Amino acid sequence: MCASVKYNIRGPALIPRMKTKHRIYYITLFSIVLLGLIATGMFQFWPHSIESSNDWNVEKRSVRDVPVVRLPANSPIPERGDLSCRMHTCFDVYRCGFNPKNKIKVYIYALKKYVDDFGVPVSNTISREYNELLTAISDSDYYTDDINRACLFVPSIDVLNQNTLRIKETAQVLAQLSRWDRGTNHLLFNMLPGGPPDYNTALDVPRDRALLAGGGFSTWTYRQGYDVSIPVYSPLSAEVDLPEKGPGPRRHFLISSQVGLHPEYREDLEALQVKHGESVLVLDKCTNLSEGVLSIRKRCHKHQVFDYPQVLQEATFCVVLRGARLGQAILSDVLQAGCVPVVIADSYILPFSEVLDWKRASVVVPEEKMSDVYSILQSIPQRQIEEMQRQARWFWEAYFQSIKAIALATLQIINDRIYPYAAISYEEWNDPPAVKWGSVSNPLFLPLIPPQSQGFTAIVLTYDRVESLFRVITEVSKVPSLSKLLVVWNNQNKNPPEDSLWPKIRVPLKVVRTAENKLSNRFFPYDEIETEAVLAIDDDIIMLTSDELQFGYEVWREFPDRLVGYPGRLHLWDHEMNKWKYESEWTNEVSMVLTGAAFYHKYFNYLYTYKMPGDIKNWVDAHMNCEDIAMNFLVANVTGKAVIKVTPRKKFKCPECTAIDGLSLDQTHMVERSECINKFASVFGTMPLKVVEHRADPVLYKDDFPEKLKSFPNIGSL
Amino acid sequence: MQSWRRRKSLWLALSASWLLLVLLGGFSLLRLALPPRPRPGASQGWPRWLDAELLQSFSQAGELPEDAASPPQAPHGGSCNWGACFDTSKCRGDGLKVFVYPASGPISETHHRILASIEGSRFHTFSPAGACLLLLLSLDAQTGECSSMPLQWNRGRNHLVLRLHPAPCPKTFQLGQAMVAEASPTVDSFRPGFDVALPFLPEAHPLRGGAPGQLQQHSPQPGIALLALEEERGGWRTADTGSSACPWDAHCEQDPGSRQTQRRETLPNATFCLISGHRPEAASRFLQALQAGCIPVLLSPRWELPFSEVIDWTKAAIVADERLPLQVLAALQEMSPARVLALRQQTQFLWDAYFSSVEKVIHTTLEVIQDRIFGTSAHPSLLWNSPPGALLALSTFSISPQDFPFYHLQQGSRPEGRFSALIWVGPPGQPPLKLIQAVAGSQHCAQILVLWSNERPLPSSWPETAMPLTVIDGHRKVSDRFFPYSTIRTDAILSLDAHSSLSTSEVDFAFVVWQSFPERMVGFLTSSHFWDEAHGGWGYTAERTNEFSMVLTTAAFYHRYYHTLFTHSLPKVLRTLADEAPTCVDVLMNFLVAAVTKLPPIKVPYSKQRQEAAPLASGGPGPRPKPQAPAPDCVNQIAAAFGHMPLLSSRLRLDPVLFKDPVSVQRKKYRSLEKP
Repeated sequence: MCASVKYNIRGPALIPRMKTKHRIYYITLFSIVLLGLIATGMFQFWPHSIESSNDWNVEKRSVRDVPVVRLPANSPIPERGDLSCRMHTCFDVYRCGFNPKNKIKVYIYALKKYVDDFGVPVSNTISREYNELLTAISDSDYYTDDINRACLFVPSIDVLNQNTLRIKETAQVLAQLSRWDRGTNHLLFNMLPGGPPDYNTALDVPRDRALLAGGGFSTWTYRQGYDVSIPVYSPLSAEVDLPEKGPGPRRHFLISSQVGLHPEYREDLEALQVKHGESVLVLDKCTNLSEGVLSIRKRCHKHQVFDYPQVLQEATFCVVLRGARLGQAILSDVLQAGCVPVVIADSYILPFSEVLDWKRASVVVPEEKMSDVYSILQSIPQRQIEEMQRQARWFWEAYFQSIKAIALATLQIINDRIYPYAAISYEEWNDPPAVKWGSVSNPLFLPLIPPQSQGFTAIVLTYDRVESLFRVITEVSKVPSLSKLLVVWNNQNKNPPEDSLWPKIRVPLKVVRTAENKLSNRFFPYDEIETEAVLAIDDDIIMLTSDELQFGYEVWREFPDRLVGYPGRLHLWDHEMNKWKYESEWTNEVSMVLTGAAFYHKYFNYLYTYKMPGDIKNWVDAHMNCEDIAMNFLVANVTGKAVIKVTPRKKFKCPECTAIDGLSLDQTHMVERSECINKFASVFGTMPLKVVEHRADPVLYKDDFPEKLKSFPNIGSL
Repeated sequence: MQSWRRRKSLWLALSASWLLLVLLGGFSLLRLALPPRPRPGASQGWPRWLDAELLQSFSQAGELPEDAASPPQAPHGGSCNWGACFDTSKCRGDGLKVFVYPASGPISETHHRILASIEGSRFHTFSPAGACLLLLLSLDAQTGECSSMPLQWNRGRNHLVLRLHPAPCPKTFQLGQAMVAEASPTVDSFRPGFDVALPFLPEAHPLRGGAPGQLQQHSPQPGIALLALEEERGGWRTADTGSSACPWDAHCEQDPGSRQTQRRETLPNATFCLISGHRPEAASRFLQALQAGCIPVLLSPRWELPFSEVIDWTKAAIVADERLPLQVLAALQEMSPARVLALRQQTQFLWDAYFSSVEKVIHTTLEVIQDRIFGTSAHPSLLWNSPPGALLALSTFSISPQDFPFYHLQQGSRPEGRFSALIWVGPPGQPPLKLIQAVAGSQHCAQILVLWSNERPLPSSWPETAMPLTVIDGHRKVSDRFFPYSTIRTDAILSLDAHSSLSTSEVDFAFVVWQSFPERMVGFLTSSHFWDEAHGGWGYTAERTNEFSMVLTTAAFYHRYYHTLFTHSLPKVLRTLADEAPTCVDVLMNFLVAAVTKLPPIKVPYSKQRQEAAPLASGGPGPRPKPQAPAPDCVNQIAAAFGHMPLLSSRLRLDPVLFKDPVSVQRKKYRSLEKP
């Protein structure tokens, strides 16, 4: 208080004492600082104004304001389209250049309005769906605004519906695009091809080499591996919210809800209805509705009125018949309703059939078999039907639901063709999320027993127990199948003993020095490991006999995708504490083996080092504990299989083993180990460990049989 | 002094404010000065139209019920597809029946093998009228003769023309509606979903069995060459990809420093095999690479990959654009070990499942066509593309993967927790009362079936058990015991003999083990095969040894699917053999399971006392009243019919975790297993 008053008093006196020049200088300086602070504060408190500056750059204009381009009547027309086009003949892959992300780049031409010599527009400027489609591409990772870097070009001229086009003029518009070059690497989207009377199954606009993503291809117009077959988008997808309905029997077995069917087909369907009664329902347009406003959303059978598409949810199977066009928007509605589509359209190329396995979600019936449709469907077992219902709904959710889904799936297919080594797999395209989550794909799936001659590499992790280490080395070197010994020297403060001091053994011995004392060094995929089999062994495991180790290796050969180890452990659910518990007592079950002495495939070293989920690897290094439990989790999670414990129990020098022997009850150790299990289970999101009740012994173990005739006599002695 | 201090504090305040300003304002100014980093699509992307909401839909409402009037279109002439050109109504009865036109004149060795494998298949029929597929072998180039129009041609409807070598004959007749199965057809002439693409069969391709894949280990050996390239005259050389930018480009090969030529190999030893060039050379290289476990890298193949209709080649090969060699090379070098591992294993699986013999190729062809006929009940993709493959996973059994013993992992399912005991009662025909009691005592037992297979009449009364007991009157044939009876309702079967003697805890433990290995046989008593140098053939022993390769089916757990496979996929010759020499049936079943799983069976402990006192049954070890070793020829005959020796030896037995450990018996779950 006093000081401030004093300052206040003395303060003004300070300035007059300065020279005027200085005073002005200081005042200016202060005001600049003050202004700067105010300005900064304003920016700090309005951060959104900066963020939204991104939006300012996105033009918000009217579609009507786009530039008008006059098209001379005699401007060139592209060739009709080459049916023999394939990616390696008609597609210029050089444009896709080298891209480390393996993603194609797509350029979209600016929107223009084209008019002919008389000022008559060539087409409607753009439809709502095509605008959505281009927006979706523009928002995706594929988009580039740099025409020189682009690999794929998408014209902004809307050809989704051929009926709205003037064919010759549209073709002329395409031909004058700046990078047209005979249509190379151009992609056109079309959902309603052809026109009366004969309705071609592909867009009639001459387009030369351009790729066509078309709805309604037939086998005769579809260029396998070049064109992309896409769905006909149903506007009802966005308008109607059909909640997912679980699979299972529904009120009607088969329903036909299309209007405007060809009379021949309708006769066939009605015959089915007469024959099978309630279970078949054939609907038609409503004629007696008071106002025709919502006639698209109503269907009638005799005088009964049904809501469409809700009625589709009442049926197990839904007929999708060809109209004049092969591709029908109703397919999307049917899938949305979780109804299994019965596709009756000969030679129709189903949407995305290049990657989607339609056998899992639909039934395709040849047109001439239409009268047998009912018996064909009845022969499908109920379980398969439910599978198909789920699959149908999943296809809709993933690939039909929105214009965006259709556009991105199309680009992904083309991307996969250009970068096949980075392509999305069958399972990723077709398996619903629930299946993907539950399934395990074992990285070592091929049943294969590696030859014994390969042998194994023993990896001994050591810090400074040299004497014990040398004993382990001497013991292990007696195992016939040992092919190399690797010592991982984890002590940075001390040099390993001199070469001359090491035991002389018959196989190569290598010492690897590590940069840091970390437990994960034991599981590093060293280049020195040349065999597939790895024996991880602690530097104090001296009690394993040569027979036991050799037998362990033989067991690993029969189970190369598992951890094969000596001391076994178990995890248990503690009902009181509601969490997992680590157990090392004499139990009848095992779910883990300690890696103080265990055989496994060297690929798991790679997985441990580079693919361990979450922060487990660092966590283990920081806590200096539980690297073995982490390895057990990793292997069980990736293979879905249990460990194999070999040979009977014996005394091991490890903290818990002594604990059981009653020498020192190391309770904290057990608690720590339990904590590890709980931590890992939460990182993995599941408990991958598998519990088994067996262990592996030699065939004649403890049998009444002459010991000297047994292959592995020296097993199980304590 | 004071003023100096004051000035100092002033300076301090000033510089602090400046610092604050710089810190706070700097970032904002920076953000203002630099244009915002262009987020993809955000800055310069497709415009957000103000009137986007007003745009019209591409399909106007009135347009949807468009086209009522136009008639259904007839197929365009000239081209065929499955729906239009194949008449499935002829296949309705017993599925696919195939008639093959007899050859006129001399035929080549390959041709002969093809005929043999069709005639040996379950699809074959001798009557052209009853057949749903008529098969015409278009003769190969050696004989130089071309087929003439056969009698039942009928414009080629339901015909399959088998061409081993790309179009040797000029069109002597119009193909009409016939399908063509051709070795590596060009993509331009191939009609997907109608024609069948075959592999290119080398001259010396074996009829059955076939050479196994060369892959010895899952992951590539360290130091193995990355890339192998084809050479003239059918060899391979490995390329050093490190120094050469374009190892397969002809221009680079002029430069001696840019490549290293290793010794020529008949089969490539590298991680990837580069296959460019044209068919048929490329196609035959492709097969070699598959066999060698070398991942084929195909540069813009103009030919259709074999069985592409059902095989997902993206899992076993890489198809890349020949115009981007550097990218391909970089992609190969950077490919993740996980992907390399998966691709390598898949090449081996596919080679073994579909390509290693003429028989497999022909049967796969027929299976592809049968799948088309079956439509919705065809093999799902999973069955084609994961071991053991569609030829060994019969779609007539089920098309739900979880019904098979092989796919529990991929499906995230578990084998069922119950089993059915199937007790075979042969002569002399004593009802196995004690056995029924022991088995019924197991908590996992769901039902007991007694297969009465002897001359004595069925006993009228059976022991009272809580377990449902069904008696089946058999046909007195040994192969009956592996018939897929519809009364078996569980996945697991415990196959037993009336003589077998088991305790409840032995049954319980064995079943728990089986649940971990549902695709294998889990048995109590074992026997082995061995190569008998003296006789130059396979030998069989039931002596107790340190290893075993077969378990006796007189007491074994296995999946019920093996009954279906035994009855429907084994050649009739083999089943007859088993009926004539009853002791062979064990060997045959073991061969079958080993051929499917490529793994040895599993042995579980069996009480020593009974092992010696009362042998389980025929083929059991130890002293017994009437030694009944299977006819030594049995193993050899079966091996010949299989074309190779599928049996594998195991050196381990699975025991309970505390088996014979020095702890209190009270702690042990399966304590009665240890009774002396």
